[in-house]
Amino acid sequence: MTNALNIVARNVLWNRLISVCEEQANALMRAAFGAIVREAGDLSAGVFNANGHMLAQAVTGTPGHVNTMAASVRAMLEFVPSHSLLPGDALVTNDPWLGAGHVFDFVVVTPAFVNGEIIGYLASTSHIVDVGGRGWSAEGRSVFEEGVTIPVMRLRKGAVLNDDLLNIVTANSRVPHEARGDILSLLTCNDTGAERLIDLMNEYDLMDLSDISDYIFDRSAQGTKTALARAPQGIYESHLRLDGYDTPIDLRAKMTIGEGRIDVDLAGSSPVLDRGINCPLNYSAAYAAFGIRALLTPDIPNNQASLNAISITAPSGLVVSAERPSPVTARHVIGQALPDLMLGCLELALPGEVLAESSGALWTMSLSGAGPTDFTSLNVALGGMGARPTLDGLSTTAFPSGVGAVPVEAAEVAAPLIYHAKEFAPDTGGAGKFRGGLAQRIEVGSRIGEDLSLSAAAFERLTNGPAGRQGGMGGAAGKVTITDGTEITDKGIYKIPAGERLILQTPGGGGFGKPADRDREAVARDLNQGLISEEAAATLYQNEPIQREE
Amino acid sequence: MLRVAIDIGGTFTDVVAETPDGLSSVKVLTSPQAPEEAALEGVDRLLRSLSKSPADITGVVHGTTLATNALIERRGAKTTFVTTAGFRDVLAMRYEKRFEQYALDIEMPEPVVPRPLRLALPERILADGSVLLAPQDADIDELAKVLRAQEVEAVAIGFLHAYKNPVHELHVADRLRAQLGNDVTVCLSSQVAGEIREYERFSTVCANAYVRPLMSRYLGRLLSRLQDRGFDGSFLMMLSDGGLTTLDQATRFPIRLVEGGPAGGVALAAHVAREMGSQKTLSLDIGGTTAKICFIRDGQPQTNRRFEVARAWRDIKGSGLPVKVPTVELVEIGAGGGSIATIDTLGRLRVGPKSAGSEPGPAAYDRGGEDATITDAHLCVGNLSSDGFAGGIIKLEPQRAPQAIAKHIQTPLGMDGVQPAAAGIVELADETMANAARVHGIELGLDISSFDLLVSGGGGGLHGARIADKLGIGRIIIPQNAGVGSAVGFLRSPVAFESAISVEQPLEDIDTASLLSRLEGVLDHVRDIVAQAVPVDKIDCSVKVELRYQGQGLEIALTIEEPGRFDSEFKTLATRFEARYLTLTGYTLENIPIELVSVSVSARERLMAEPSTEVEPTAQNSQSGIRDIYDLNAEKPVSYEVVARSQMNGQVVQGPAVVPEDQTTTLVRSGWSVRRSHLGHLIMERTGR
Repeated sequence: MTNALNIVARNVLWNRLISVCEEQANALMRAAFGAIVREAGDLSAGVFNANGHMLAQAVTGTPGHVNTMAASVRAMLEFVPSHSLLPGDALVTNDPWLGAGHVFDFVVVTPAFVNGEIIGYLASTSHIVDVGGRGWSAEGRSVFEEGVTIPVMRLRKGAVLNDDLLNIVTANSRVPHEARGDILSLLTCNDTGAERLIDLMNEYDLMDLSDISDYIFDRSAQGTKTALARAPQGIYESHLRLDGYDTPIDLRAKMTIGEGRIDVDLAGSSPVLDRGINCPLNYSAAYAAFGIRALLTPDIPNNQASLNAISITAPSGLVVSAERPSPVTARHVIGQALPDLMLGCLELALPGEVLAESSGALWTMSLSGAGPTDFTSLNVALGGMGARPTLDGLSTTAFPSGVGAVPVEAAEVAAPLIYHAKEFAPDTGGAGKFRGGLAQRIEVGSRIGEDLSLSAAAFERLTNGPAGRQGGMGGAAGKVTITDGTEITDKGIYKIPAGERLILQTPGGGGFGKPADRDREAVARDLNQGLISEEAAATLYQNEPIQREE
Repeated sequence: MLRVAIDIGGTFTDVVAETPDGLSSVKVLTSPQAPEEAALEGVDRLLRSLSKSPADITGVVHGTTLATNALIERRGAKTTFVTTAGFRDVLAMRYEKRFEQYALDIEMPEPVVPRPLRLALPERILADGSVLLAPQDADIDELAKVLRAQEVEAVAIGFLHAYKNPVHELHVADRLRAQLGNDVTVCLSSQVAGEIREYERFSTVCANAYVRPLMSRYLGRLLSRLQDRGFDGSFLMMLSDGGLTTLDQATRFPIRLVEGGPAGGVALAAHVAREMGSQKTLSLDIGGTTAKICFIRDGQPQTNRRFEVARAWRDIKGSGLPVKVPTVELVEIGAGGGSIATIDTLGRLRVGPKSAGSEPGPAAYDRGGEDATITDAHLCVGNLSSDGFAGGIIKLEPQRAPQAIAKHIQTPLGMDGVQPAAAGIVELADETMANAARVHGIELGLDISSFDLLVSGGGGGLHGARIADKLGIGRIIIPQNAGVGSAVGFLRSPVAFESAISVEQPLEDIDTASLLSRLEGVLDHVRDIVAQAVPVDKIDCSVKVELRYQGQGLEIALTIEEPGRFDSEFKTLATRFEARYLTLTGYTLENIPIELVSVSVSARERLMAEPSTEVEPTAQNSQSGIRDIYDLNAEKPVSYEVVARSQMNGQVVQGPAVVPEDQTTTLVRSGWSVRRSHLGHLIMERTGR
């Protein structure tokens, strides 16, 4: 290839590799079972070179697959060496420590061959609705109670599907046909991706991916280094306290910003507990790195080189670095708190440039029938995002997760529930020059007058609301009650008796800057819209007494 | 016969007249304050040139972006939204997710109805359509008082599950209308977009109410002023889905007009496809700022029932207002003539989506534009000639193009010459468009290489051959006179109306008799609407169903071939779904119920557009010059033969050749041939690779 053609071709190839991943992730999303999995985009797809280094990855609704997927391929090849792979083979696992942090996530890796040689790999991962065990709750005392684990093995050998394996999964799942469908969808997704990759190589007469790998890694490493230079070098520490299962959990980080790289040590965080909110280090690293990258390197695509610039470590056995057999089903409770912990460090490095704390972990609302009618309904209840240095926080919008809520009408069609209300909760956004995003109040009960069972595993920040920054006030803490007077105080299972309702108020986002500095028109608008009360306007924002018109 | 089409866009208003002698057109500047002024000026000028009067017009067909602009600029009516108590924030909560994962500074669009005007009414219908709580008349009367005090112009009503049972919406609407009088517009979510999912339905009914007073006043003015001049023919409006409808329907559902302009462009492409007998057509319209892609099957554009207007944040998907209305399915790519080439922070060459537009425009326009654009790259490699660009309307300073490319692209990338850098820009633009088409085709499960490529817009002929190479396409159509394409498209569109109902039930649980009776109600409704403008014996009805495996999001649309035999066709749906699913994904699933998501019904005027027979081409050449064009693969300029479309009378010209015209230039790359069909369209065919 000539110089000019080469430069253009490399650009085209890089774009096209990302496009192949996005396309496969979209195809997976459409075919995924379960509204919340689709909404979550709790899946991903990536292209790897022959060494198992990630070249490109789809950006989907959850950052939880970012570093995890990058590491999965090489981890799996340690169990099944690449020289033993033949055309048609595909590997699979749902091991939380090799995949994406809990047994629900299946990873499938498929080698792509040109002239009998492996030139790269396609990987995809997706959340499967049910793989047995206790289902979606934090009640498992060990990973053995959380569902069936499939060690790394061939899902397909040559052209022959491993039906024995699929039968093991379906025999262990409460929704066997859906589970089978989701796994097949991963397989197809990789096959299509491999075809696309090979078409692309033919179009540009490539025999291997080494040149494009070098180009992607070189550019990404350079770009990351330049972008990280914005943050002054040094050591920065931060601390965050969560409610925990029933006693508080501390998360600590020591961030070292060096030349062109960031190293974070999570030592000092609380030890693992015997409930399923522990987080394996791979998933902790994914979210921690996301928090850093969203602030400092948002324009640089995910690949081996851009991820290598950030390392997240922790001594084993902590709540952020749980080892087998610790239970990990609701690992997102810890994982999704880590971006706020990272931003706490970065606030010290770049004061005034960092958004305030957000409501954190997604509140998974898992309701099931506890009476004669059997059903399960999964939805999410979203809190406020932290205020940004120049903008209010987004109301009822998750951060760091990108998951949206299932519409009320769809949720009510799918399960015998009635949502009696779902509205903004005034005065929940932390006051500040820029206000934190508002939380919401949801009221839900049975449509058929039967008892309901609730898993409170993900209701976090019930004690301390998200903190503000630069003089901004904290967002309101969350609050969950049942109309029979029960207040939810831990992450266990609760009963909602027939005729009673569950009332959730999610946490609000933290504020940014001093409330007194807030633009008076913004205060008046918030007041007019009922997003803040007159009392808050007068006391927190020190607004002049209201001049009533009319 | 004298038919007149009026297309009012943001900048220009195009008026086209069709008589038995053919088409003629004028272009005037849009008058945003009173759009009818420019429209009437255009009509007057055109009629004068034809020595005709408004009384001679048999029919007017009209499309406008007025509703879209009102939504973008938030200049609609003072609108209230009456909704189920406990849910007044649905409009503001939206999907409750960020549309960009890594951008921390995104902003959500402001709802068209602010919170103080979103009013709650105690009432509740359940998911099965049963009534949990009926609205109280005293509460409604109280609302009416508030609305009067607020002096609102429009009321949107949206209740939960109204798509299933509209009784509360109907009752509240009746009672409010009785008290507010005819000056206040009342719109119901169950009528505007009667489908499940509250945010999208509420967003649609609010947008409809918001633009309705403005649109009905404007359309009233336009029609009465035409009538004052003696016009008494038919008056039809272009809908977003490429169908035409009566003024009455357009005024009731103005939100269905939002994509009328682009739909006109696609309608023309569809018409040319029908003329050429092209059954599978990929339409690609490359304009100054963006390129638009639409797939056309059997002369019918692909449509969708969901669309997003007024994207508020960097034009990114997800940042606009969703509207559930039938729309031609266009994929828009930020790559047009004015798109700017840059080197990003990673040192990568990028093209678009930022555009220099027409002001200041590409560097070569010499109107203060400093950036290197796609048009500059075309000039630099020799694809475009500086003489006679855009029919001579725009004068080019050709040396400005290489200067801009050298500065912004060649030097930062360390490339040897400016022409290779320019050729790189063109190649990347080709790639961006080809990839968008490829991705969209895959989503739709289409084998794109079996399609014809139909290119239009100023850049269509420049990019067509390379894009076709990338997509494996063997035939390209470049229609004649695409300059006022949308307006001409209006004249080629059928009167049509579509409506959909949500079902969301497993096939096996469906009571076909009751579904059929619901369906017949909708069928009668849409047929009646079309019958206002078309004789009943010229109306075709079609029924489409959307199916999915219960629990998945992958929805597959199937056509009920004979609505009259719905019962027996219904029984074949499961098998047809599985076959299609297998094609799309490579597998099927067992023991999972297949769910009927929705049924959409449309009535459509039967158009007589038969493929015309082609004249057998003869091979001979008539040369009229040579142009050197830099070639990226050859690493040097290659000689292209210059031929005029008018000189090609059926003979086949082998590439490399170039056909320069006023509005576009067609590049016939090596490995392609070109000829002119007897209808005047250029046909390029691959002769080798």
